Amino acid sequence: MTEPQDPLAPPNSNVFDGQKGMRGYRINKLAQSMRHPENREAFLADERGYMAKLGLSAQEQELVLRRDWYGLQAAGGNQYALVKLGGALGINLVQQGAQMRGETVEQFLKTRKRS
Amino acid sequence: MARIVGGIGSSHAPSMAHAYDHRWSDKPEWQPLFEGSVAARRWLLEVARPDAMVIFYNDHLNRFFFDAYPTFAIGVSESLPLADEGWGRRPLPDFSGHPDLAWHITRSLIADEFDLTVCQEMEIDHGILSPLPFLTEPEKRGWPCPIVPFAINVIQHPVPTARRCWKLGAALRKAIQSYPRDLRIVVMSTGGMSHQLNGKRFGFLNPDWDNEFLDLLEADPQALAALSAEDYMKRGGCESVELIIWLAMRGALSPQVRRIHRNYYAPMLTGYGLLALEEMQ
Repeated sequence: MTEPQDPLAPPNSNVFDGQKGMRGYRINKLAQSMRHPENREAFLADERGYMAKLGLSAQEQELVLRRDWYGLQAAGGNQYALVKLGGALGINLVQQGAQMRGETVEQFLKTRKRS
Repeated sequence: MARIVGGIGSSHAPSMAHAYDHRWSDKPEWQPLFEGSVAARRWLLEVARPDAMVIFYNDHLNRFFFDAYPTFAIGVSESLPLADEGWGRRPLPDFSGHPDLAWHITRSLIADEFDLTVCQEMEIDHGILSPLPFLTEPEKRGWPCPIVPFAINVIQHPVPTARRCWKLGAALRKAIQSYPRDLRIVVMSTGGMSHQLNGKRFGFLNPDWDNEFLDLLEADPQALAALSAEDYMKRGGCESVELIIWLAMRGALSPQVRRIHRNYYAPMLTGYGLLALEEMQ
């Protein structure tokens, strides 16, 4: 079977396991709460206040305020949750992913074969 | 007695839902997704004509959260509403469930040592909702039949093994064949083909492996059941471990099946695959 040679493959990826699930619990709770329009409004009106209420640590809050998607994943954020947080902030999956790769969106799109 | 008439495997992705709702069938990058669904849709609606579909999929933090995350969960309610995933509910009808069939499957699977979480509330997200409109056109005629949703954990490791999903499919076959009403059942599985959404490897794609997977699923699914989660993640990117869900559909079918349709293309972040298989009976 096909075996790609890829230095970034697991275990170097941010595989979401139970340990990350526990570490990132508050980040993911924040992100998942964005499913409800009233929560999106409350968060956007006062990001720090909303995050403090959910018990995010100062470091976790900083990662959110910096829109540091790579850092949020490393801190236990699950991408299916983070995409909801991005949605609330008007930042889409491609923008998040390009940042994780250390690229601009334009640079990332050039790596795609659009058929 | 009920019987399985065929199976469908499909990718799922929010982008598919977005393309469908914007009617992007004439955009060059989306045309293959719309055109590539036609033959499978015709077969499903005109030949297979299911009375119910059992659909294996994974939820994306819309029904379940990490406070209590089930490995296997079945929806047994009469009504299955669509989830708001954070960007609004789609303009499509809610699903009808099939409580009697779902409870029969639950009893049979638990007797076979698959210990399920049984859900009387089950909001449905893009795991089911992104591919199904391409196969049924619900805006024209509604959903064709009730569904029994079956969620498999593939987002928080440890995830079940591919072989466990395969055996789950085989146990589902036994459950369906012992259901006393004369129903035609299509079993469907959805899960992303190659893609990775995390870390510096974001955007990883492997169309060669995706196509090999489709070959093997049809002809030698045991080879796929033998692979570990890490094997899947290396070959197709971390999130492509969702492909183990497809093994449940294949495990529910006979060893020899007739291929009705196969489509694949990979324009952007993930491979879009579709496979329709018919029971030979």
